[in-house]
Formats: sequence, structure tokens, C-alpha cells
Amino acid sequence: MRSPFRPDDLPEKAVLDDHRPLIRGLERRGLFRGGLSLGALAILTGCDVRQPEAVQSALLSISRFNDGVQAWLFDPNKLAPTYPASRVLKPPKFNAYYNINQVRPVNGATWRLELAGLIADRRPWTVQEIDALPQTTDIIKHICVEGWSYIGEWSGVRLSTFLRRVGADTRAKYVAFHTADDYPSSIDMASALHPQTILAVRYAGETIADPFGYPLRLRTSTKLGYKNPKWITAIEVTNTYPGGYWESRGFSWFGGL
Amino acid sequence: MRAKVGSRWIIAGVVLLACGGAAHAQSMLPGGIPPPPGMSLPRSAAMRFPQPVQVSALLHRDVLQPVPSQRVLGTVKSIVRNESGAVEAVVEYGGFLGFGARPIAVPIDAMVLLGRDMEIVAYSPRQLNHFPTFSAEGTMPVPSDTIIRVGLAKPSH
Repeated sequence: MRSPFRPDDLPEKAVLDDHRPLIRGLERRGLFRGGLSLGALAILTGCDVRQPEAVQSALLSISRFNDGVQAWLFDPNKLAPTYPASRVLKPPKFNAYYNINQVRPVNGATWRLELAGLIADRRPWTVQEIDALPQTTDIIKHICVEGWSYIGEWSGVRLSTFLRRVGADTRAKYVAFHTADDYPSSIDMASALHPQTILAVRYAGETIADPFGYPLRLRTSTKLGYKNPKWITAIEVTNTYPGGYWESRGFSWFGGL
Repeated sequence: MRAKVGSRWIIAGVVLLACGGAAHAQSMLPGGIPPPPGMSLPRSAAMRFPQPVQVSALLHRDVLQPVPSQRVLGTVKSIVRNESGAVEAVVEYGGFLGFGARPIAVPIDAMVLLGRDMEIVAYSPRQLNHFPTFSAEGTMPVPSDTIIRVGLAKPSH
């Protein structure tokens, strides 16, 4: 396509020969020009700029390396700070990848938790059956990748207790979650077995309200907020990388704190 | 030649607008959505999953404008019931660095909870500027241990 910035009257081609050394000098600066262009693209975040595949895969490999470092640094026995009940925010803060009026409440009476993958007993669970499991309460900080945080009181069964109860292969790499709001998520097995990772059913002593994930959501003290899927409908234990909603859009998969 | 220069500026302008439009669309998507035209405040509040909250927990909260910069419009001073029985938040509104602010009464159904803050989603600052200065006459303070229901919003940034 002809450039809209091309002048009407082109200079004589012989001019190029006259200034050959100068043009070579300009070419040597191509690297800088390329760098400036990439910088300009990065600034134009509002535009739908399609980045070259090479840049994308290089950035993804750095992110995967970071995930590996985070997993290596993770201490399965180290607990996150806990707080007094007086500091609990009631109600908690709502967030999702869509607006509040698009929340679709889940019917607890017909809801079932489905199980899949490397699990011995894959029978589905009802709300009452989940409630009857041994409960634990964590007053922990929810830290969002966007920069805000709040202290919340979450109660439910430890994910480690649940996984052992259903005969999950805890040597598997991943625990994946499917949700009613189409927000797939997954965590590493070490984080899944951490004592402060729970399948929460209550907030501040009350059944979790619809906008915060009724009847079942994940709460883990060791990961950023986006690693805590709400309205869970299925849990899968797998060795195949399951990814997640934000992870497929470039967010770190490990998302550790 | 002159026309050519003009067309270049138009093309550059269109490119800038395309970028600006996309950024605008992103920033407008999340956060406190105003009531749809013609919808009453209580009906629009009902769409925002109103949650129980103790009046004492609302006092002194920052009140934000639902825009990406999350400009602080004021702070909640008290919660009152007006002559017609509707619950309102008395917001110490406007001013600069705490000087020149004045109390205005904002219907609670025009506001949302945003974590530890609140937002006014049904009125723009231009509309709020025309709100009368609050007078306690004819209103009843809502006791601080009362539980009221307030809608939610996701962050506007």
C-alpha cells in the first residue's frame, strides 16, 4: 500500500549514491529505531496492537521461568499472617472480570461439585455433604494484583483434607477448578495442600453471599486474588497444564504472594 | 499540496482517535455503572446485589467517583432517614484539602460499597455540586448499630 506520507515529488535516485556513507550510518542506527518502535507499541496499550509471535513467546518463557522460581521459593509449611476478627471487612469486596449486575447466582439445591481426573472417588458432592466436612477458619488478607487488599474471615474444609478424603493423587502437578461464571483456574499441588488453602462456604460466620461465590469458592492465603475462583462447579486433579482465565491473557500462572 | 498536508493530519487524527476510543472503552467497562435511563434508584440498587452492612461501618468512609482515577469526592459523616423514610448518606462533599467542604444528603441507593470505600454511581460531580447543603431538620439519624443494605460495584480502575 502506498504510504499516505509519501511526498508528491520524489527526489532524484542519484541523490542516494551521493550520500551512500551517510545512509549506511543511518542503517547502523536501525537497532535503536527498532527499540523505539517496540517502546511505542508498549505505550499504546489502548490500541489493539498485535505483537510479533517472537516477542510474545519470549515474554511467556520469562513468565514461565518466574513461575518456576516462585514454586521453588514456596515453603509449604510457612503460614501467611492472620488477623483479629475485629479487622474483618463486612461485607467483603466484590471483584470479577464483569460487572456486578452480570453475576448469575447458583442454586444451592441443585448444585453439585463434580470431580474429575486423578481422583479415586469421583462421586459428586452436595452443599450439605461439603458442610458436614471438618471446618477451619482463616482470617487472612485478600491481595489483588490491581493493588488493593482487605482482611476477610473465610471458613470451610481444607482443600488438603478434601483431596485426601476423595482419594486424589497428591503427587499430581495441578488442581484445576471449573466455575459457574466460566472462570477456569488452577494451582500447583503444593499450594493446594497448604494448610491455609480452603474450599470456603462461609464468610464472617455466614453462608457466603451470591456475589462472593456461593456455594463454594477457593480461598488461599498464599496466592494473589485472581487465583481464588468463585462459584466452583468442578475440581480436577491432573498432570496436564490447565491454565486459567487471566493466565491465558498473560498473567503469571503461579501468582504467589 | 496543501490538501495533501490536510489529509495527513486527518489520517493522524483518525489513528489517535482509534487509540483513544479503545482506551476509553476499557476504562468505562468496569466499575460503578449508573442506573439505566428511566430506572428508579431503588430498582437499580436491587440490580447491584445489596448486602447487609452496619451503619457504624460506613461512617468516615471515603466516597469515590466511579472513574479510573477514583477521585475522592468526600467522606461519609452520618446516615439519616429523610422525611419520606428513605435512607441517605450525609457526605462531606467537595472542597480542597479539607477546606470548603459542605454536607450533602445522597440517597443510599445512589451509592455502592467498594471494599472499604463507597462510590456515588447515580450522580456526576456536576449534579452533586447542585445538591442543597444538608440540614438535619426533618431527618432522623439512623442508629449506628442498624444494619442497612447497600449495593456493590467492582473497582473502576
